[in-house]
Order: sequence, then structure tokens, then C-alpha cells
Amino acid sequence: MKINLSNIKPVPRNNRYARRDTPTAALEGLYQRAIRDAFRKLDPRIAVGNPVMFLVWVGTIVTFLVTLDPNLFGTVQADPNQQRLLNGAITIILFLTVIFANFAEAVAEGRGKAQADSLRSSRSDTIAYKLLPDGAISQVNSTELRKGDRVIVKIGELIPADGEVVIGVASVDESAITGESAPVLKQPGTDIASSVTGGTKVVSDELTILITADPGQGFIDRMIALVEGAKRSKTPNEIALTVFLAVLTQVFLIVVATLSPLANYVNTPVTIAILVSLLVALIPTTIGGLLSAIGIAGMNRVAQFNVIATSGRAVEACGDVNTLILDKTGTITLGNRLADEFIPVNGHSVEEMAAVALAGSLFDETPEGKSIVQLAEKLGAKIDFSRTQATGVEFSARTRMSGTDLPNSIEIRKGAIDAIRGFVRSRGGTIPSKFDDAYEQVSKLGGTPLGVCKDGDLYGVIYLKDIVKPGLKERFDQLRRMGVKTIMLTGDNRITASVIAQEAGVDDFIAEATPEDKIDVIKREQSQGKLVAMTGDGTNDAPALAQANVGVAMNSGTQAAKEAANMVDLDSDPTKLIDLVAIGKQLLITRGALTTFSIANDIAKYFAIIPTIFAAAGIGTLNVMGLKSPQSAILAALIYNALIIPALIPLALNGVKFRPLTADQLLQRNILIYGLGGVIAPFIAIKIIDVLLPIA
Amino acid sequence: MISENLVTIWQVWCRRKYPTYLFLALCLNLVFASTVFAATGDAFSRSQVYALGVLGIGTVCLSIYLFVVMFQPERF
Repeated sequence: MKINLSNIKPVPRNNRYARRDTPTAALEGLYQRAIRDAFRKLDPRIAVGNPVMFLVWVGTIVTFLVTLDPNLFGTVQADPNQQRLLNGAITIILFLTVIFANFAEAVAEGRGKAQADSLRSSRSDTIAYKLLPDGAISQVNSTELRKGDRVIVKIGELIPADGEVVIGVASVDESAITGESAPVLKQPGTDIASSVTGGTKVVSDELTILITADPGQGFIDRMIALVEGAKRSKTPNEIALTVFLAVLTQVFLIVVATLSPLANYVNTPVTIAILVSLLVALIPTTIGGLLSAIGIAGMNRVAQFNVIATSGRAVEACGDVNTLILDKTGTITLGNRLADEFIPVNGHSVEEMAAVALAGSLFDETPEGKSIVQLAEKLGAKIDFSRTQATGVEFSARTRMSGTDLPNSIEIRKGAIDAIRGFVRSRGGTIPSKFDDAYEQVSKLGGTPLGVCKDGDLYGVIYLKDIVKPGLKERFDQLRRMGVKTIMLTGDNRITASVIAQEAGVDDFIAEATPEDKIDVIKREQSQGKLVAMTGDGTNDAPALAQANVGVAMNSGTQAAKEAANMVDLDSDPTKLIDLVAIGKQLLITRGALTTFSIANDIAKYFAIIPTIFAAAGIGTLNVMGLKSPQSAILAALIYNALIIPALIPLALNGVKFRPLTADQLLQRNILIYGLGGVIAPFIAIKIIDVLLPIA
Repeated sequence: MISENLVTIWQVWCRRKYPTYLFLALCLNLVFASTVFAATGDAFSRSQVYALGVLGIGTVCLSIYLFVVMFQPERF
């Protein structure tokens, strides 16, 4: 299945990322469960968590009391039965307002729970074969395992808990958590391939695993707790907005509470039910009711992307990111660089060079090494020694070379140009000027040059072709328009890096970078007040992942990387960082848009209620909507107030449509659509409801 | 025996804070409602004055609650 990289789509629906979407079976009961939860949230101990809606709930109780006895707080002038009817209608509408707000939150939570159920199905208690210190094997339940225990897992068995492989090589089916059906090779010692997750299945051979997580603290357990919202704490933006809403509510509470004496003074006494209605109409109930649903839905959107965020804070931080640090290989270019050409030097022919390159890559299991073997064999190259008598030399970050030691003490090496130069000189060889020409030629093409030599004899340069992922340039353009800077990190030389950087359209690049450079770049950007996002998978990435404001660890990465990061990508696709930025921005835009809309709504509700209540005080001309009566105006405003919450639930859950615009453009657009729309829409809606209401 | 009962009542009293708050509010209302009753004369009946007193105290409590939200928002 092909990924469309040309568009930023925060919630992909028909591609492989959508695999962990909420299961259909779980969604069937979602709304019934949400309705039940909406009533459960009426418990004052839960309701008190949402200040705006708690006030509406208290108001509902007060209007209910005056429905039972309209004269409870003072004798009313109107017919008690009519007053009771009006109070009853207000009570019902206020109650529905609270229920709708609770329902919105419950639906958002329900989606998370469905995802948690899906994850939970991959976690089950299993029998583990624990290796005792004396070498004996004891059969225990997986819940009895503790950090530091060693277990043996054989073919066909589930891995009982998160751990590190210490002995054995085996294929592990991780589809339960990643959805990827191809098994992954796990072996000890290697930084990445030694980490295993509880709930995954060994499909070949057997492994001895050192348990690294206590029961309930494993990767899947933490994921379940997070998507269920068990550990959900408010993000800084949510806290700021909660304070703002509380201040607004406080102001309106004081205004309404002190309105009664003023009303009496102008000979327009108002009932308690009307005061409660006025209060509810003025406080920002729309955003108050949808605020937590927006936050929970943001987490769910990230989870639908097959990314687990450790907190809502991380998702929000994605939206505020100013700088993206991206590795070249696998993120900007396709992971596998392929050998495209042999450029011989020193008077050697292409065939001679191909034979040496083949011999030097015999033991190289990397995709690059295999592609060199393929190209050499295509050119007719053959080895003239027994493979069993030769020894492979593995690549290391220190030597930056790999190769083969032949039986007759001949050393064949291939690797970074500087490293090969040094190796040739150390063996008494010379570097012809043509070698530099070849190296520059490859670099200018954006390829990676690899030098090849046999002892002190330099044979030439292998051109490893790097292919920039399609559509990436457009996405970086979009990010640039949003004010996000992209920095590419690569171990390649400066010329290659600059060519790839130009081709991909990144803003800056760091060539010949080591993993340690990542943390330096992050610190440098952060010192300028910027928020930085990065991806990583190795243990050496862990400090940088912890330092970054948004650190996305690959699921294939080490336990250390996953623990340092605040997000884990189950698909291990580093390109997803760009989508995460889009999701974060969408979350912030949605919250901003609905807050603007909610506050703009107040203007219409104010003009609906105040002029009709105080018409006798000479402000009847402000009744610009020409509403029939105070009773009709109040009911129309409250009905609108209640109905707008469920009407906006889809927008809160799915997010405002994301457009890659600058902050200024977004602000203008928000003010125009949600600000102006928030002023006009309720005028029209309240007038229509007023006309439809069967009261004079 | 009596002292044991008193200790038990005191422990329950300390443990269940919401009924305590409610009880204290009603006690406060005794003072509050009487003042309102005295000030308004015949405009309100005794029961209306008590109801208004409870409403007034409730409103003040809501206001205090909103101040708590403003200064300790992470608790909500």
C-alpha cells in the first residue's frame, strides 16, 4: 500500500497508519456506554472537575427547586402555574446542557477505552519458564515475574513481559502491537534488536530474556493506561484555558448575583430561574463542555496514527514545535541506499574493482553491502578464495570501514572516504587525484561515496544512490509556511549532505554528524527559545530524546530510547514526526477555534436576554432580534446554548480541518470563521427557535 | 461507654467532611437568614428567607470554588 506523502493529513483514513483505528466491534457499544457515562458524570465529585459545567449543574438544581415551588425564594407576580411551566422548561434545558457536555467527554473517552481494549487483547497472563540461579527452570505465571528475572521463551510461546534478549537468536511476531505481520529478528548484544515487548510471540527458535519491567509497568500496560486516560493530566494550555474560563465564570457569577437589587431598583424584578438562565447563557458553556473532549480526542488521533503519546502535553507540544530534527537515512531518504556504479581509479578496470568490492562486501549483511554484491555479480565479478577461510570485518563508528580479511593476510576495506584514505596511507599506498574527483562527482549527485581498497592499493569509489522520499519537499514547504524549521542530520560528507538537503528542501543540515551532535543541536535551538522535535531509536539517542520537547522513539528501538521519549511510534516510521506536528497544530487550532466561537456566542445570547428582561427599563430597542417575550427569549437562548454542544461534538472529536498556514493567517481565519460566525450564527438560530416556540 | 460513643461520632465527623460543611452552612444560615428576615420585614416569609440564605451561602461557596480553580487549576 502506498503512502501519499504529498499531503499532510492529520487523520489518515485509508492507509496503513489507520490500522489501529478504533475497532468496529468496540464502537458499536460506544454511544450506549457514553450515554451511561454522561449520567454517571453527574456525580458532584466528578462534576466538580469541570467548573463551567458544574455551575450549570448547580443552576439546574436551583431551577428544579423553583419548579417545585415557584415562590421558594420570594413571591412571584406571575401565575404560579405558568411560572412553574417556564421553570420546568428551563430545568430540562439546563439538564440537557450538562448531559450533552458529559456525553461529549464520554464519547471521547469511550474511543480511548475501545483502543485500550484492542491493546488489552494483546496482553494476557501467560505461563513463563523462569530460569533460576541454579540453572533449573520453574514454571510461573507471567504476573509473578519481576525486573531482573530471566525467562526462556520457545517457539510458539508468548513473551511474558518486556525485556532484553541475553541468549539466542529468534524471529518474533510483533503484529499484536505494531500490526506488522513480518516477524522481526531478535538477538542479544545489538542495540536495537535485543529489545522485546511482552505479548509478542516467538515464531522461531528460542530466546533467553532478561525481564526489564515489573507487572503492570510494561510497555503495553503503560499504553493502555494512557489511551484510557487513567493518567491524563491537564496540559499547560488546558490549565491556562481553565483559568480563563474560571475567571469569566466568576465575573458573570458576581454580575448576575448582584443584578437582583439593580433590577428591583428599575422596577423590573427578576426571578431566580431567570437569573440562573442569564448566568448559564453568559458563561462559556460551549468550550467548557467540550474542552476535555478536545484534549482526549487529540490523544486518540495520535493513537489512531499508531503512535502512543505518554501525555497530552507531548501532543500539544507537537503543535508548538519550531524546529524538526530529522535523520537523513530512513526519514528524508529511503532507508536502503543502493550501489549504482563503480568508479575505478589508479588504472584499475571496472571489472577489477567489482571483484574487490565483491570480496569486501561478502560478509556485509546491510542493504548497502548486499546491493554492492548484487552490482558486482551483475558485472560478472567472482571471488577467487574460499569464503570459509576469509574473515568479515564489521563496520564500526570508530573505524567507519568494513571489509574482509583474506586467508593470505590481504585486507580489503570499503568505507568512508577519509577512513579509506587513512587506511591506504597506513599501508604505504598513495592517493591519486582522480580519487578526489570521483568522490566529488558522487557527492555532487547527492550520493554516498564509499572508497574501496586492497591493502595499500586504492581501487575506486562506489556510488551509493540515495533517493529522497517522494513528496517530502512539498511537506517541508508546508512546514516552512507554518514557521517550522527543518534540520537534517547525516553522517555523510558536506557535499552529499548539501545536495540531499537542497533536493529535499530542508532549511539546514549538519554533515558528518555523530549521534552526540543531536543533543548539541537541540540545546542550541532550545537556547533560542524554540521547541524541538526529533526521532531516535538507539540507546545513544536517549539523552537527546529526553532533551527534546517532543521525542519520538521508534518501537523497534531500545527500551532506553522508548523510556526517554514522550512518544513511541509503533510503525517505527520516522517520517511520521511531520504528521505529529500537524496533529498537534490541529489540536491547538481546534481548541482556539471553539473558544473563539464560544465567547463570540455570548454577544448574541446577551442581546437575546438582557433587552427583553429589562424592556421596562427602556432598553427594549436593544432587542434587535425582535424576540417575542422574555420567556421566549430565555428559552430560545438556552435551547441554542444546549444544542450547540452536541452540534460541535464531531468538530471537537475530529478537529478543525488543518491547513498549513502561518500563525497570523490562522488567527485571521479563526477570527473570521469562528469569531464572526460565532456572533452571527446564534442571532439567526435564536431568532428561528424564538419563532418556532409555541409561547407568546 | 459514652466517651467511646463520643470518640466514634468525632471520628465519623472528621471523616465525612461534606455533611460537616453542610451542617456548618445551615448553622451559618441561622444567623444570615435571621438578619435578612429582620431587614426585609414582611416582604419574605420565614421559609423564603431561609431558602434565600442557603442560596446566598451557596453562591458564595461557588465563588470561593471558582477562586480555587483559578489559583490551583491543575487540581481540576
